[in-house]
Amino acid sequence: MPEHHITLTTRDGQRLDFSCPDQSDIISAAENTGVLLPSLCRDGGCGACLGHCAEGDYDLGHYNASMLPDESVQRRDVLLCRTYPKTDLQITAPYDYAHINFGRNEARQAVISQLETIAERTMRLRLSWQDEQNGLAVEFEPGQCMELEIPGSGIRRAYSLANTGNWQGEMEFLIRLQPEGRFSGYLSQRANVGQVLNVYGPGGAFGLQADSINPAIFIAGGTGLAPFLSILRRMAEWGEDRVIHLIFGVNRESELFCVDELQGLQQQLPGLTVTVCVWQPETDWAGSSGTPADALQYYLQQQSGDYDIYLCGPPLLVTAATQIAMDSGIAETRIFSEKFG
Amino acid sequence: MFCYQCEQTTRSETGSGCQEVKGVCGKDETTADLQDLMIYGLQGIAQYATRLRKLGEAQPKADEFMLYALFTTLTNVNFNANRFAQLIKETAQWRDQLKSHYQELAAQQGEAVEDLGGPAQWQPAGTMPGLLIQAKEAAINVELAQVGEDIIGLRAMLLYGIKGAAAYAYHALMLGYRDDDIYAGFEQALEFLATHPTDADALLAWALRIGELNYRVMAMLDAANTGSFGAQQPGTVNLAPVKGKAILVSGHDLHDLAQLLEQTQGLGINVYTHGEMLPAHAYPKLKAYPHLSGNYGSAWQNQHNDFTAFPGPILMTSNCLVEPAHAYRQRIFTAGPVGWPGVRHIQNGDFAPVIAAAHALPGFTKDEPEHLINVGFGRDAVMGVADKVIDAVKTGAIQHFFLIGGCDGAAPGRNYFTEVAEQAPDDSVILTLGCGKYRFNSHDFGAIGGIPRLLDMGQCNDAYSAIQVASALAKAFDCGVNDLPLSMMISWFEQKAVAVLLTLLALGIRGIRLGPTLPAFLTPALLAKLSEAFDLKATGTATDDIRDALQKAA
Repeated sequence: MPEHHITLTTRDGQRLDFSCPDQSDIISAAENTGVLLPSLCRDGGCGACLGHCAEGDYDLGHYNASMLPDESVQRRDVLLCRTYPKTDLQITAPYDYAHINFGRNEARQAVISQLETIAERTMRLRLSWQDEQNGLAVEFEPGQCMELEIPGSGIRRAYSLANTGNWQGEMEFLIRLQPEGRFSGYLSQRANVGQVLNVYGPGGAFGLQADSINPAIFIAGGTGLAPFLSILRRMAEWGEDRVIHLIFGVNRESELFCVDELQGLQQQLPGLTVTVCVWQPETDWAGSSGTPADALQYYLQQQSGDYDIYLCGPPLLVTAATQIAMDSGIAETRIFSEKFG
Repeated sequence: MFCYQCEQTTRSETGSGCQEVKGVCGKDETTADLQDLMIYGLQGIAQYATRLRKLGEAQPKADEFMLYALFTTLTNVNFNANRFAQLIKETAQWRDQLKSHYQELAAQQGEAVEDLGGPAQWQPAGTMPGLLIQAKEAAINVELAQVGEDIIGLRAMLLYGIKGAAAYAYHALMLGYRDDDIYAGFEQALEFLATHPTDADALLAWALRIGELNYRVMAMLDAANTGSFGAQQPGTVNLAPVKGKAILVSGHDLHDLAQLLEQTQGLGINVYTHGEMLPAHAYPKLKAYPHLSGNYGSAWQNQHNDFTAFPGPILMTSNCLVEPAHAYRQRIFTAGPVGWPGVRHIQNGDFAPVIAAAHALPGFTKDEPEHLINVGFGRDAVMGVADKVIDAVKTGAIQHFFLIGGCDGAAPGRNYFTEVAEQAPDDSVILTLGCGKYRFNSHDFGAIGGIPRLLDMGQCNDAYSAIQVASALAKAFDCGVNDLPLSMMISWFEQKAVAVLLTLLALGIRGIRLGPTLPAFLTPALLAKLSEAFDLKATGTATDDIRDALQKAA
């Protein structure tokens, strides 16, 4: 079987070389050589493995068009999990070398320690490592995710960790129950405290640009709050304050969660301000009405200066908010996003 | 960004210095510029501190802040731009505090209040873009067009010497050792830099004064280390891991190590030294901790491999930190002046997070075969066998001493120092210090009359020990140090090595060979000046340099 040579250059200019067999996608080929590139769903659905092909021919498999719009395809942006090389390729990646893992992405076993409905169609899932012989460290960068496997199915779904790296073996996820979702179905119907899941990761390159000196705006749609909670919790834990404005939005008040905790984080982080907005509020809702994109537009109209924009939520929100940020003069390179849906 | 303070700085035909968005060390442009601006602000503290001293008041707390701040700017120490934005604010606050106090005290004593300019008047911009604009005026080479590269090089050599000496003084301070006269020396040197000096002779004289100051600083650190932990004793260190939970401690700060050893007592966690922390095993009060298990890994530039493979947390107490790899980014911790964005910093000596990590991580799962090396030949140990050494020289058993000291680094030319050690004749003794020794310290060099041929004197600051030994030998033979059958091959990388070099020059040591490449701030004219005054030379080939050295009769 012919093999193609892949050269991947990271944002910080470091280079990786590996082979990709014909008919293999790039994420899988890299993994087979022990290189774990950031990715989430591996199904063309999340956009986490976005890259750009500077040279070479390839086929794109099936993917979610909201993650890779036509104009992106035209400029040769690719989703690496859906990129099948036809020749040698030169790829540039939008993340730093430090976000690449090396080794094997082997499953570890974790037990469900808590399962709780925290808002309408929203659950909090807590897991603890069960295989203590591998140590209890949960090491990840805030913003990263783990892949959770539905027991007995081999089906995996990636969810952002909402807690911080810790040495007690604990993981926390905020999960939106999707009507047709496989993991949602498992969680709402079959999952129980004490059950054991296979967990893979951590993965993903979304997260705070720790070396940036710009103030940041976080835009969270629903459970898109999870990576931002992780970032803010770690800042509070480490005593590292920064100027951050968080916009957290849901459709209805009944879908709100973690609002009290956000207030608590504001006490610990003087640089943090929070706008909670509801798209379709009840008449007595005293907070901001509209989508997080509306709130972003309003906020940017009141402010000036350089910002880093971080977006996590459904694709429509991420796309709309990205456009608003760019229309306000924020460079595309200062906008960091993760979509789910 | 313009930075040429370390050995690995970018060199090209059009000029030397890191000027791109990121330096070779990994320091980004923003961080480098903010460091320059902070140093400019520190000169403002010095301007008022020197005036206050003339009015009879010392400002030790401001001085201690100055030492810390200077230390953060050494190569491979702190890469966190947000930390420097905060330190700039603190610098201006200290400066303002001293300024008000100076004005009050002068008024009380009926003295005229001097109207100071430059850093004394600087107001830090309120925004980050504003600070970065101000930083352009604080770069070491900002006046290049007006004063030329020689003056810039001399100012740089002085500043880098100040930085290196400040790092040593900070280590001593952590052990509770301080000296107000020494602090006055730092203030005066920084105040001198604030005057935009352009007289080459005056600048060189100041650089040598910093060399003298650093000699006193190293003496203070030697007193701090030996006073806190006992005089170094010869002994062995195991380079092989043993089964169990593990913490790796790197950098130079023995106080941090001592605190960690205290906090991990009885917890079943083994503590390993890394890099320049190796000499810790020679101090009786540190090696008395049974869980100070051994030394792991090699010199700093190999840390990606060493730290990735280490199955526990890593504590970095000073330089040299390089960008932590993903594989261990969550389990590396910084302390003191060290910092990397997104890496957890330990405040106030509470190592509980490091200990929690050690419990959670797997540790070593089996014992490896023991591999022992010798350490602990500080001045007391060598002086203890001085009679034997002197007899061996008199009888001709020892024909020559080579001092191969200083930093290690990634440059291929550093093989020179290994080659000198390996090619040194069997009737010579090799004194070593600093992390450059990792290139050869696990070799078996044998012994001469019971004296090991390789004597590890300790950390780079233990150059003080080497100077004491050389002085004692000179006294025994009734000659000067330059007349001894002693050759110094100094491997430099960062600013502490600059301070040590200035100390050796200030003591009148001649014929030092410096490598693997000469500092970029040593312009041809400056090098010619130092060569003429001190016979300072670049390293050549090991074979040639050994041959030249041996022409000194034993």
